[in-house]
Amino acid sequence: MTKRTNEQWLSELRAGGLPRQAALADLRAEILNGLPYALRDWLSPDNPQFAALAEEVTQETLMRVLKHLDSFEGRSRFTTWAHKIAVRVALTELRRRRWKDISLESLTDNAEGGDTPRAIADTAPGPETVMEQTDLLARVQQIMLEELTDKQMRAMLAVAIQGMPLEEAARRLGTERNALYKLLHDARLRLKRRLAREGLTPGELLAVFERG
Amino acid sequence: MRHWLDTLKHWLWPGKRPPSAPLPPRVLRKAAQQIEMTQEVEYSCDDVHRLLDQFAEAVLRGVDAAQLMPLVQSHLDMCPDCREEFEALMRILRASSVSPT
Repeated sequence: MTKRTNEQWLSELRAGGLPRQAALADLRAEILNGLPYALRDWLSPDNPQFAALAEEVTQETLMRVLKHLDSFEGRSRFTTWAHKIAVRVALTELRRRRWKDISLESLTDNAEGGDTPRAIADTAPGPETVMEQTDLLARVQQIMLEELTDKQMRAMLAVAIQGMPLEEAARRLGTERNALYKLLHDARLRLKRRLAREGLTPGELLAVFERG
Repeated sequence: MRHWLDTLKHWLWPGKRPPSAPLPPRVLRKAAQQIEMTQEVEYSCDDVHRLLDQFAEAVLRGVDAAQLMPLVQSHLDMCPDCREEFEALMRILRASSVSPT
């Protein structure tokens, strides 16, 4: 594989003919070499599905690289920029596959249903602490119900609490990833400000939860 | 009667959920952790994606990237998806940095 500067990558990919073909071939190899490391926590290269996924991701990445070539700002190595795109393409697809059969409702329903404050301590807390925790939990939950819209509550439970990927939650809520992040950010800000008005900081809440 | 009143509340105050079962402590604790880290201004996922290659290379060089690009760092602290993408990119860069030229 030929080593190239950023400028060489750009000029060869913009050129026609053999220079472009050579650059694309090298970029393809570069991306394919990186994917086993990127996907280590998801899919082993020994997995029969890996090769097909890697090929699909690489093709999509090359298309996006060529389409968005003018957006490369040169603040990193060109190959790093290309790897970044490949990672986004690959993980989006893997998340879609993993979560495709899981509904938002199943996550938000599973988030409800009580434990007692005893469940959160390694050692059993004293009765006063249990009372304090119970009251605090009820108060915090009431604040969440009052401050958050239904959509914010569902999104928060699914994404922030149950770990659903943003794109998957966004798809189910009829929105897109950035808009969902903003919705969650607004929700967290509302809660932070409301807790402050109530004379509570999140740190104080956490301290009560930690108390055994 | 109760069902009718709940329906009326839901219609009069759209967006307000009817009362639900208590949320378990682990859920509220996680919410509190998230709220504690919340900043007034936060980058979107697309903002971070645009800067992730620079950020990752800075981290690889041993630069205090959190200080250099604090809004990227705070988003990565809050967004598991972007965090996962950052860590995947770092694995590629680390592998590339030790492979023979």
